[in-house]
Amino acid sequence: MDISQIVDRISQKIESKGHAADKSKIEQKLRRLIEEFGVQPADAERTVLYDIARDYGIPLGGAAGPGDQKQINSVSPEEWVTIEGKVVALGNSPSPSIAYSGIIADASGAIRFVVWSKASVPEIKKDSWYRFESAVVDEFKGALSLKVHSGTTVKELEGDGVLIPVITPVAELAAGVASVHVKMIQEWDVTHDRMLQSGLLGDETGTVKFVTWKEEGKERLTPGCVYNIYYALVDEFNGRHSLNMNTANIVAEDGDIAVTSGATTFQGALVHIAPGSGLIKRCTAEGCNRVLSRQNYCPVHEMQPKFNYDLRIKGWLDDGTRTEEVLVQREVVESLTGMTLDESKELAENNPLGMDEVFLRMREKILGRYLRCEGREIDRRLIVNSCECIHFEPTLLAELLNRTGGEVS
Amino acid sequence: MSTPATGGFPKRENMFEREPARRVFAGELREIREQFRDGTDEKSPSYVLLPTGQRCNRVFLVGSMTEKKRQGEQNMFYRARIVDPTGTFFVVAGSYQPEAMQQMARIEPPAFVAVVGKPSMYETPDGTVLVSIRAESITIVDREIRDCWVLDTAKATLDRLDNPTPSPDSVHATEKYHIDPVAYRKMVYHALSQLKF
Repeated sequence: MDISQIVDRISQKIESKGHAADKSKIEQKLRRLIEEFGVQPADAERTVLYDIARDYGIPLGGAAGPGDQKQINSVSPEEWVTIEGKVVALGNSPSPSIAYSGIIADASGAIRFVVWSKASVPEIKKDSWYRFESAVVDEFKGALSLKVHSGTTVKELEGDGVLIPVITPVAELAAGVASVHVKMIQEWDVTHDRMLQSGLLGDETGTVKFVTWKEEGKERLTPGCVYNIYYALVDEFNGRHSLNMNTANIVAEDGDIAVTSGATTFQGALVHIAPGSGLIKRCTAEGCNRVLSRQNYCPVHEMQPKFNYDLRIKGWLDDGTRTEEVLVQREVVESLTGMTLDESKELAENNPLGMDEVFLRMREKILGRYLRCEGREIDRRLIVNSCECIHFEPTLLAELLNRTGGEVS
Repeated sequence: MSTPATGGFPKRENMFEREPARRVFAGELREIREQFRDGTDEKSPSYVLLPTGQRCNRVFLVGSMTEKKRQGEQNMFYRARIVDPTGTFFVVAGSYQPEAMQQMARIEPPAFVAVVGKPSMYETPDGTVLVSIRAESITIVDREIRDCWVLDTAKATLDRLDNPTPSPDSVHATEKYHIDPVAYRKMVYHALSQLKF
């Protein structure tokens, strides 16, 4: 253990009680104990801390060194804490410097933990209860974890083993560890050799992506089934969450959940139609479907003499205070513009302007119109599933006339 | 073009934000006397300050085009008058806005049109202030859309007048303009009263 870390830790504790900490003096005392007297660093830390605390008259209480005992859901980053909980998941150690990594839970929640190889701890077993005294709370990508280091004392407890996991609604997931009650609603193609399954889970409040990596004993979920998923890892990337199922206990359940569609609605004027709208060509290579350039060039598969035609509109919908990018799919484009894919193809083939003619005609039909769009928002872009023109509302007129206060206000 | 990069690793914090198109009656827009840039960069956006207390980089308006003129020889551009219930917008489309210019070329007044554009303010040597709008796009629409726009703009104007929390822009506007809120409410009432139930 690095002495300067202990020095920092002690001085932080002293300073947090409102006293000045003399780092060089602390270091001197520590070195003396550790180097000259062969005291274990953890003991030296405690001794020095108590010495200084006594000098200043700081009441540290019985468990002062190790930090306050806390509920798992109330810890914050960089805090020194003592917690008691049940190890609910234990993973393979990813590196020789890590002895154990897993998840520990109490009645308030669960948190990831890492035990460094340097820490001297008893054997840690899944489903047993432990007391982690003086562990450090760390934060990485928004997820908290506990670091069990050489200064942490780990004690196995006589646990009763009964722990009811806290179920989190999908809409309230945050990076860390969570248990959910969800229905599997979509299965996606796996994008990696090591991936066993990926897809979408949902409950009444929202949907979330999940991934199960290939590992012994891991099973696939069945679309349409309802599961209790205990202690999955919640990762966050670009503001979106995903569940890593490898740590989780999964219990299938009878019954059904009315999963929310996750739809959002936005209304405003269509103020811009971007290039790449109208009639487009898509790459036919398997699983690609990217839009080809005018010269039939796919960014991945290069020249594609064969392609599929499609319709779409990329544009900006604006309500006067906010502008939302919208991507309108073929069926909706057809009903909105009254131009079908077949008609558009024919128009493009028989017109000197080709596909531009379709773009121009669609623009004349819908640019500057008030629309109400419904769909799913992905990466700040609204993927529109349905769309309608907004009509004049006499009730709104009456309401606004009242708001002005009348002719002579 | 104006679409932000997606996929890959977008820097979400720095992602480009499109300026919303404000809804402003001609009667308010012609009162503009303040124009500023947000930042010192050549590319930083330019705003006009609306008397009702909001910065404005872009407008969306619907009205009747009553007059269209072609001007200039080498640098040809169109100038159009578009009226709403409270006054006239002066809209120009030049060779820097080829889309809008070509759209404008096909429109014969009188016609209901929807315009998206950027407002700017000019002061002539004799001190007259002119506010015009450089069109980004202009399309022919129908009367119902005009009526929807009047409702939309009435609501936006009242929202700005009734805004309970002062913003830097509204403070700036209060210093710059000494508007009579009652007159603005009357303007909104007048615009609304021209619509039929």
